[in-house]
Amino acid sequence: MEGPPSDATLLVGVAERDIGAFRTLYERHAGWLALRLARRCNDSELVADAVQDTFVAMWQKPRSFRGDGDVAAWLWGIAIRRLVSRIRRRTDIAAAFGISETVPAAEDEVLLSVEYGDLGAALARLSPEMRAVIQAVVLDGLSAKEAAQLLNVPVSSVKTRLFRARAQLRATLAEGLS
Amino acid sequence: MTGWHVDDETLRRYVERIDSVAEGASVEQHVLRCERCRARVNTAAAAADLAVVDLDAVWDRTRGAIEVPRPSVFERLLTAVGVPSDEARIVAVASAFHGVWLVGVATVIAFAALAAKIGGTGELWFVLAVAPVAPCLLVAVSYDWRWDPALEPEMATPYPVLRLVLLRTIAVLALALPAVLLLGLLVPGQPPFVWLLPAVGFVAVVLAASTWINPLNAATTVSAAWFVAVWLTRRAYSPTEVLEARTQVAFLVLAAASFCVFVVRGHHLTQLRPRG
Repeated sequence: MEGPPSDATLLVGVAERDIGAFRTLYERHAGWLALRLARRCNDSELVADAVQDTFVAMWQKPRSFRGDGDVAAWLWGIAIRRLVSRIRRRTDIAAAFGISETVPAAEDEVLLSVEYGDLGAALARLSPEMRAVIQAVVLDGLSAKEAAQLLNVPVSSVKTRLFRARAQLRATLAEGLS
Repeated sequence: MTGWHVDDETLRRYVERIDSVAEGASVEQHVLRCERCRARVNTAAAAADLAVVDLDAVWDRTRGAIEVPRPSVFERLLTAVGVPSDEARIVAVASAFHGVWLVGVATVIAFAALAAKIGGTGELWFVLAVAPVAPCLLVAVSYDWRWDPALEPEMATPYPVLRLVLLRTIAVLALALPAVLLLGLLVPGQPPFVWLLPAVGFVAVVLAASTWINPLNAATTVSAAWFVAVWLTRRAYSPTEVLEARTQVAFLVLAAASFCVFVVRGHHLTQLRPRG
């Protein structure tokens, strides 16, 4: 059975300068990449630049995908770093997380804490600054330096906030257990 | 792969960015691995009219960015030896480098050299007639606006014409002279470099003449005169005599004098500009 070609197959096409394969990959990935980047940076121009940079990088070095894991994860790794470097070039922008901008309705908060149990509740109790650090370092896998550039704060603040956030999470979770 | 997928309600909250950290993180980790949910995120983001960026516009820009042509090998070589990149581009677009002219000239010289090799010194006059003038014809053609569409905007640019012409000439010679040199090896009895000085001399004459007339006319005239001269004297002198020391000195003087004329009259290079 001939299904639609996999991302990895299309990437081989891109290495062979197939613009059609490139277009298909763009259609598959540009949307969610842009959305996910926009949750980390509220400047849509920078997000657009980062998406462009990501696909240009893909066109130039498709073989840097080593074939292990998902093409999507590889692309995200490129995209978040391109965003960081775009932000570094424009340090005056106010990088902010989408979640710290929009406050969930009270009933949603309640539902979420039920749905995700203690960890969700513990995360929700963190200050926006600490949540942002946790998201950048723990969930996005950025280094402290990259996170600092993304969030436009000194590296030392990232380290302090991360330390405090961990301590607070540990405490909240221990509280829930007892 | 688990059977778990992002449910519609969570998807909506994610796209509208009203989710919690934990929820968002689960969606994001899942989306990296699940093609189906990835497509759903794309669709939901587009349908909800919440698209943060204009993806079509970004696509156009991306296309534009990847289609900037890589500089040619020749252009990169010029840049590597210190020619500013915009000048390297101007030199590299000369039609002479599209290869057609070079191949034509090389073929003629090769035939001449082969004829000389097969027919002995009796045919050497033909090489003598063709090889030294080939580079100046090539240079002239590279300046003729009828053959080189790139020349017109190039000459219209506010760029010192003299410098431009010299750069292009050097570039054309860099390609033509090695061919002359190489094919000179095929001709028996003469060191190959003896062909270079006449060739450079004729190029200088053509450049000097182009301050009065169209360079292609100049080159054709010079070539024809040389051809006739060689043909007429082929019985009176041995063809190799032309390449001996005193003739070489004469060519050197000719080249130097012509070059002086060219530099002095550089501002008359209007013949290089397209007519009309």
